[in-house]
Amino acid sequence: MKKKLFLLLFTFAIVVFSCKKDEEVKPYVPPINPVKGMFVLNEGTFMYANSSLSYYDMEAGTMENNVFYRVNEIPLGDVAQSLTKIDNDLYIVVNNSNYIYKVDAKSIEYKAKIEGFSSPRYMLPVGNGKAYVSDLESPGVYVLNLNTMENSFIETGSATEVMVKIGNEVFVSNWSNYYVAGASNKTVQVIDCVNDTLVADIEVAQEPNAMVVDKNNHIWVLCSGGYMPPQDPALLCIDPVSRTVINRFDFEAGADSPDGMAIDGKGENIYYLNGGYNSLSVYKMNVDNTQLPDTAFIASEGRWFYNLTIHPENGDIYITEAKPTSNGNLLRYTSDGTFVGTYEVGMFPSYMLFN
Amino acid sequence: MKKLCVLLFLLVSYAVVAQDTIVLQSVEVNATAIRKNQAEVAMERKMDTALLKRLNTITMSQLLIQHSPVFIKTYGPGGVATASFRGTTASHTLVLWNGFQLNAPTLGQVDFSTIPVFMTEQIALKWGSGTSANSGGLGGTVNIENNQHFGEGVILDLKQTYGSFNSFGSYITAGYSWASHLVRVKAYRTSSDNDFEYINHADISHQVMKQKNGEFVDYGVMPEYQWRFRNSLLTIVSWNQWSDRNCPQIMTNLSNADRTKEYTENGYSRNFISYKTYWESGKIEVKSAYFYEKQHYYLKTYTNIGTPVNDVNSINDANVFHQIIDLNQNLYKSWKLNAKVQYDYEKVMSSNYDESEDADRHNMSFYAALTGKLLKPIDLRFTLRNDLVNWVSAGFFPTATVSYSCIYLKGLKINLGYSHNYRNPSLNDLYWYPGGKPDLRPEKGRTLDGNIIYSRKFGRFSIDGQIGSYYSQVQDWIQWVPSTWRYWVPENVATVTAYGAELHLKLNYFINDWNFSASGNYVYSRTTDNDDGLQLIYIPVHHANSYIEVRWKTWNLNYTMEFTGRRKTQMDNNETLAGRLNPYTLHHVALSKQIRKFNIEFKVNNITNVDYQAVLWRPMPGRSYEICLNFKI
Repeated sequence: MKKKLFLLLFTFAIVVFSCKKDEEVKPYVPPINPVKGMFVLNEGTFMYANSSLSYYDMEAGTMENNVFYRVNEIPLGDVAQSLTKIDNDLYIVVNNSNYIYKVDAKSIEYKAKIEGFSSPRYMLPVGNGKAYVSDLESPGVYVLNLNTMENSFIETGSATEVMVKIGNEVFVSNWSNYYVAGASNKTVQVIDCVNDTLVADIEVAQEPNAMVVDKNNHIWVLCSGGYMPPQDPALLCIDPVSRTVINRFDFEAGADSPDGMAIDGKGENIYYLNGGYNSLSVYKMNVDNTQLPDTAFIASEGRWFYNLTIHPENGDIYITEAKPTSNGNLLRYTSDGTFVGTYEVGMFPSYMLFN
Repeated sequence: MKKLCVLLFLLVSYAVVAQDTIVLQSVEVNATAIRKNQAEVAMERKMDTALLKRLNTITMSQLLIQHSPVFIKTYGPGGVATASFRGTTASHTLVLWNGFQLNAPTLGQVDFSTIPVFMTEQIALKWGSGTSANSGGLGGTVNIENNQHFGEGVILDLKQTYGSFNSFGSYITAGYSWASHLVRVKAYRTSSDNDFEYINHADISHQVMKQKNGEFVDYGVMPEYQWRFRNSLLTIVSWNQWSDRNCPQIMTNLSNADRTKEYTENGYSRNFISYKTYWESGKIEVKSAYFYEKQHYYLKTYTNIGTPVNDVNSINDANVFHQIIDLNQNLYKSWKLNAKVQYDYEKVMSSNYDESEDADRHNMSFYAALTGKLLKPIDLRFTLRNDLVNWVSAGFFPTATVSYSCIYLKGLKINLGYSHNYRNPSLNDLYWYPGGKPDLRPEKGRTLDGNIIYSRKFGRFSIDGQIGSYYSQVQDWIQWVPSTWRYWVPENVATVTAYGAELHLKLNYFINDWNFSASGNYVYSRTTDNDDGLQLIYIPVHHANSYIEVRWKTWNLNYTMEFTGRRKTQMDNNETLAGRLNPYTLHHVALSKQIRKFNIEFKVNNITNVDYQAVLWRPMPGRSYEICLNFKI
């Protein structure tokens, strides 16, 4: 009886355990001609640590996903934010994991893990073997020595976000005041990157989330306007020499929430995402225009546009499309807005970088 | 006529034994002779009370995943553990304590890691038409009850446990039970450093690490008083609990672990008074409860340069009043009526809510159930409920159950049920700021259930088997999704279909001083979004458990197995590397010996030292040990 009983349970257990074997991880073979390609960084879901790196080979028209994991057999981390390429190294800033991975830009092989930030966002090389790292929770920017991988800090009083460099000055936006007491969320700060000192503050609108430099060496700043009333969404143009706002275009407060901007290779046309709740479309505006465009250049049509970039040579428009609970897509359009193709990437594709 | 009266008395008395806390000595003998209406118990399973007694130093979350068909999603020891009943989510599992809802009005869920089995005497799982008396249990309900016995004198039960990771547990039950009065107090405290070692697969060197910031301490006290007089019973119970738990980081986010302090401090006080009175053909119970629950989440971080980051300090206070009047009346022959009127008032004060909104809700419910026999082998049960939410009708919700007791094969029963129910959005869904949507619709569910139960004794051998399947549709499924405004918002996203099968088997055999028993559950659950047909995240298609126990005289050796199948962590067919979690099987062994009034037990958990993840990148402990000493009068 006892035997029978155990036999029964044993059979039961066998039936239960006969499951699929794990699929093998396909190794990543770097493309032969890595120049004509683009990295797509997928931020994933907050606290799921499901960020990933994808690589799009433009000539072959192929997309490789989970590249970082396939090469290094570790996850990229929690909420990957941005990519920076310096020489032959690719730096991946992973915001909520609070580190930057340095990998070989071709093979994606792990080289170093750089720690010592609080909530790192973007990285910008500033010369002299230094790079600036902006931070959402620290009142300033970290200065990373690229040889020793050690940090120092420039205190500016506000949390820092996107950065552009013009001459020996770095312009950094103060996007959020949520984490840093007394911080500003509507300024662009100017840092002398030779002496690593704060030299000026320029007031813009709330939550400046993107900056580009045009053909006139003017800085365009896109401000979402904040997420709580009173909102002031706007696109501003700054003259970096006089450090003044020379042009301001206001969006409709309460209705518009522009987020994400890019400029073409000639510095003539700005492309940005704008629209209402869950319906951001692509708008195109010549830098010499005197008013904001009324109609979308590429309408969202129910898709959730997350970020965009423009190929510096042929002007192709790349848009990332996010989906709330599943993998997103990379959408490719030509410069005149003709659809070329769609490629599945990872969760919340947020940042693109041409190789 | 006299015969009928006696029969009725027995029937009523049996109902008393089965449902309530009084044990009338004279009736207990006859109780088994009277069968309860099968349609009432067709859609429920009572957990073995002997098992509950033996396992009362574990939490409900461990109990359910190891011994029931309910799946538990756990964030690790000292972390949140929520239930998925029949392929639904945590919000669809209603937990009732002596008839009162335990789901917090804020989140709408219950954290089963905060309910020690120690605080209960009876646990029953109900599903489908078995959940008809309340809204919310679209997946099922977990019914927790306390019961006591009169006239037993001194009550004293002491337990002390000590285990790996400096884990302590102390449990005391003390009281006195007179012929018509009963006083009892239960108190416990558990704590752990929870600093187990694990392999960090998120680190390039895959090094062995110790979990940091996982310490927790929980404690609670439950005084009870009961007075039995004439045909009445008065009960007063107060369940009070506190927990202080640190929140460990996920494997990828350890860079700032030393500069981060993150914890939750939760507490609740659940109090009720109940008065029951019986007459020859029925009974009425009037009960009132006041529940208070406090949730405090705190996060403090310092930057790399030593400056403080703005704290996250969120406090939620929930107050809930419950009023229930419940009548049972025998009507004609086997037909019985159960009628219930319930009024609940929920109010939440939260630092996360928009202050301009009144975060409260009135729920009024009228319920009636009719049970009886149609011919000899067929039992029927029909119920109807009408709920008013903030004095507006939420609709009528009927259920029907048919049970057939096979006359050719003794012990075989076939049951079928249909139910229609709904779940209100939680107050967080409505009022969280930013994101909450006051115009969210309630979820509505329809379920079709069927099962076959075979339960029989053959001399020394007994078998209890159950095979069941279900099909349900939930409309206006609520889910929080990310939005372009950079915060998450709840939406009535989809219609979800859940179907599956459950298999339960329990065998027992004894001879001389030996007793062998084995039980197991296997669950197949498919829960898919109707739009794209994809399985919802963190719901395994397969999960199973089994338990084997051998007793010889005062020795007890037992083995527990739990299996969790592959789970998705995102809604894709393309199962990327972080998009799924691999299946795992855990094995636990325990050996105990009774020496007079003492019992000593030695346990080894996860004996094969399986390295696994229950939630993406959350560390889980490997092999661990525990010793337990018990003294009981």
